[in-house]
Amino acid sequence: MRKEMSNSARLAMFAPLDQLGRAEAVAARLLDAITLGLLDDAEQLPSEIELAAQFRVSTVTVREALAVLRQQGLVETRRGRGGGSFVRTPAWPAPSSWAQRLRLVSLADLRDFGDHYLAVAGSAAKLASERSSPEDLERLRLTSEDLLGTTGPEATRAERHFHLEVAAAAQSPRLTNQEVQLQGEHGGLLWVPLDGEDTCRQSYAEHHAIVTAIAAADGDLARKLTEEHILSALDRLVDLHLSLETP
Amino acid sequence: MTDTRTLTGDEVVAQVSALVEEIFERLKPVLAAAETLLAEPGGAGSGTLHGIRPPVLEALGGLVIGAGFVSAPHVLSDQEFGFEWWTTTGSDQTPEQLFISLDPESPNFLDYTRQSWFTVPRDSGRRHINGPYVDYLCTDEYTLTFTLPVYRDGAFAGVVGADVYVREFERTVSRRLRSLGRRAALLNAQGRVIVSNSVRQATGSLVRDVDVPAWWTSGAEPQTMSGGATLRRCGDSPIALLVSV
Repeated sequence: MRKEMSNSARLAMFAPLDQLGRAEAVAARLLDAITLGLLDDAEQLPSEIELAAQFRVSTVTVREALAVLRQQGLVETRRGRGGGSFVRTPAWPAPSSWAQRLRLVSLADLRDFGDHYLAVAGSAAKLASERSSPEDLERLRLTSEDLLGTTGPEATRAERHFHLEVAAAAQSPRLTNQEVQLQGEHGGLLWVPLDGEDTCRQSYAEHHAIVTAIAAADGDLARKLTEEHILSALDRLVDLHLSLETP
Repeated sequence: MTDTRTLTGDEVVAQVSALVEEIFERLKPVLAAAETLLAEPGGAGSGTLHGIRPPVLEALGGLVIGAGFVSAPHVLSDQEFGFEWWTTTGSDQTPEQLFISLDPESPNFLDYTRQSWFTVPRDSGRRHINGPYVDYLCTDEYTLTFTLPVYRDGAFAGVVGADVYVREFERTVSRRLRSLGRRAALLNAQGRVIVSNSVRQATGSLVRDVDVPAWWTSGAEPQTMSGGATLRRCGDSPIALLVSV
């Protein structure tokens, strides 16, 4: 059975790229989609012409982007009947692919992404404090505990799931959709457990504090803690980006 | 002695009750098909789930914009999780099958066995209306999900369910609710507002001045509060009507 992320995540993935997209930007978008699992292993990519139309770039640019991904072994192109480009999901994205993705992001984009994400996740936490039922709180607690003792992709998933649950507890479909879209953009990067288990323990403590504030119906505190939690993740990301730029 | 105040909203109560019963009625053939499928010798695998498709498609329509069967873990012979779910959420209303990640190893896997539309029928053995909630697994919208437990050999084996948009439910009942002429709201068993006729009770907010969960637990008999507000159940449904003075 084919597995899919929500439609909104798919839409975000195929949103037109700013300006004349460069092959690297198309490659980066597809790389994100593959490493985030929005595109499944062995899933056939749309044709070069369709991709070009979706990203609003030329087919030549798409071809270049696919060549980059092919080199990294993330896409396989078969000729002839039933041919086309197919996704080859890595067992777990090699650190180099995250690094590559992060190198392509500008600090200006990261800051802007961070601003948007803070606005969405912070508001969601505040509203969740006003609107969470005991059932919602129980689910938030369970989800925050998912981070305990995890590393790697499990930790990333637990982070993303936690923030998704907070948005849902806010009872807001719009904030939830924004959360999903933002995660589709850079969320995979944001929640990469860069420093291993220490970061996870720290993140768990932060989640726990956020849930406690939500349970106490303290919206201002929940918002503040959520913003701090995200800011520290953004800081880690920027640090890594800078270290990559000046080897 | 008849307390006329507790009768306030008879029409709303009757309408909501009828709506709820109709939706659960639509699910009965889906339930029968799911239980038949699961009872087959050799059990059911993910490849045989399409057998329940005809009644699922039949259940769509009216307020119901999504319907199907969701299995409990390890009920299917060949995979841990599984479901057959169809929606008419597209622009042309054509039924489309829903696919979500069922692979626990996938970064997109979301464990549906934690969702209340699954846990409440599992733990209570009874039908349930979940929500209003943000259904990020299926509709991406503010939704009410009606679920019934499914059994195989007396053991819980999953749920059949139907999705209704909160906004459509609101459209259907808002005229009668407004005609009450008093501040009124339909609440779920947690005290969450499904629809109200007042700006003071926003959709999705929790009513705090009345302990609705405690009232449900103690039998949900019609009740008049000290301030004069009335709280009553809509038929056999897990939806209550709160009318303020």
